[in-house]
Amino acid sequence: MLDKWKLREVIVLSVLAVVFAVVYLVFVQFGNVLYGMLGLIGYDLIFGIWFIVSIIAAYIIRKPGAAFLSETIAAAIEVMIGNAVGPRLILSGMIQGIGAEAVFAATKWNNYRTWVLIAAGMGSSVTSFIWGYFISGYAAFSPGYVTAMFFVRLISGALLAGLLGKWLSESLAKTGALSSFPIGKEIKRGKSDNGITA
Amino acid sequence: MLLHEFNPSIKALTVVVCVLVLSIFFDPVTPFLTLAVTAAATFIFGRVSFRRWILLFSPFIFMALIYIWSALVFSKAIEGETILWTWGIFTLTEESFQRALSLGMRVLSFTSLSLLFMLTTKPAEFLLSLMQQCRLPPKLAYGIMAGYRFLPLIKEEFDIIRNAHRIRGVPKARTLSEKLAELKRYAVPLLAGAIRKAERTAMAMESKGFTGDRNREFYHKISVSWKDWAFFAFFIAVVLASAYVSWLFGFLQLYNGKL
Repeated sequence: MLDKWKLREVIVLSVLAVVFAVVYLVFVQFGNVLYGMLGLIGYDLIFGIWFIVSIIAAYIIRKPGAAFLSETIAAAIEVMIGNAVGPRLILSGMIQGIGAEAVFAATKWNNYRTWVLIAAGMGSSVTSFIWGYFISGYAAFSPGYVTAMFFVRLISGALLAGLLGKWLSESLAKTGALSSFPIGKEIKRGKSDNGITA
Repeated sequence: MLLHEFNPSIKALTVVVCVLVLSIFFDPVTPFLTLAVTAAATFIFGRVSFRRWILLFSPFIFMALIYIWSALVFSKAIEGETILWTWGIFTLTEESFQRALSLGMRVLSFTSLSLLFMLTTKPAEFLLSLMQQCRLPPKLAYGIMAGYRFLPLIKEEFDIIRNAHRIRGVPKARTLSEKLAELKRYAVPLLAGAIRKAERTAMAMESKGFTGDRNREFYHKISVSWKDWAFFAFFIAVVLASAYVSWLFGFLQLYNGKL
């Protein structure tokens, strides 16, 4: 999978993962506050933020594996810098990454329109929920509550990963830092939809 | 014998497999016993001070309490269970109480296993081991190591941006849209700087002859011996023995075979 990648792309991927690993750790604290106020569903409200690197990496690098690898590496780095969830988190990262990657794979890694990015964020919501169902024992909760959690997480994935990820990537492209990537060229040509102001 | 000496990949595998096995059980005793043995092993064979351990562990006690609370309030009542307490539509059965307690305990047992790994493993050795034992491509492994080295640089840049904002008198964000604008003001320059640095690093690595070839040699070799597999077997045995003891005292629960 990685043989077709340039070293430049691999390092950019890793650096994105490092930055978002820090963001993810900060959001764990934020999540805990919501969790304390609302119970388990508090996490689902902001769960989408934990998928954002998949969307950003895939949107920028546009190669098979970008969504999966970035999320996995971000999880691994989170473990290294001190998320006490530990090595299990790497597995969670892989599972979240697979959800987004599956959506990009369905478009043969050719389509990076807004709806695909949103669907990819929701894809991560679905896989992460199935994993959570098993590992966190959601079976012990009432079905109504579990269903509510699922839909909240789905919306969170669409907005906080899909839309926010797209917006951040495009803001970044406007600085010119991504000029050697397809997204940078798109922005330069003004082909991308210009709903966002710099 | 120290826990630091075991192979990092096998240590990580052990933790993940133990977590998966523990997820089958829905009684509080099995995770509690595993937690006790794991914590003891961390103190004795990991030479980790109790203070350091409890500092990292205590946030999870809070999480476990909320988990128990959620599982109690939104518990699934199954017919034929012993009712402890009813209040309006809210029914608390003995079984659901036990399940809630077990989910809280589960969080804590997972944490103790994770801490055992984290407090006795160096990140660089973990990556070297992943490359040498799990065939992680060197391109990716060294990419991650380079990225990891960026952390202090990113922190430094963050401080610079913050000071720059302060000097120019940027007001504190209050409303949600201001907060979002603030997020962008920090995130975009930080990411742009990081990506530019990443491209320079890649160029530097390639100019020094890094090809990412899998058949490379390692200065720091990390090996696997029977001791590592004994470590693996020991911890799986701990989980199974915990379940056995729990069964002996009549606590063991497998979620009634329903999912």
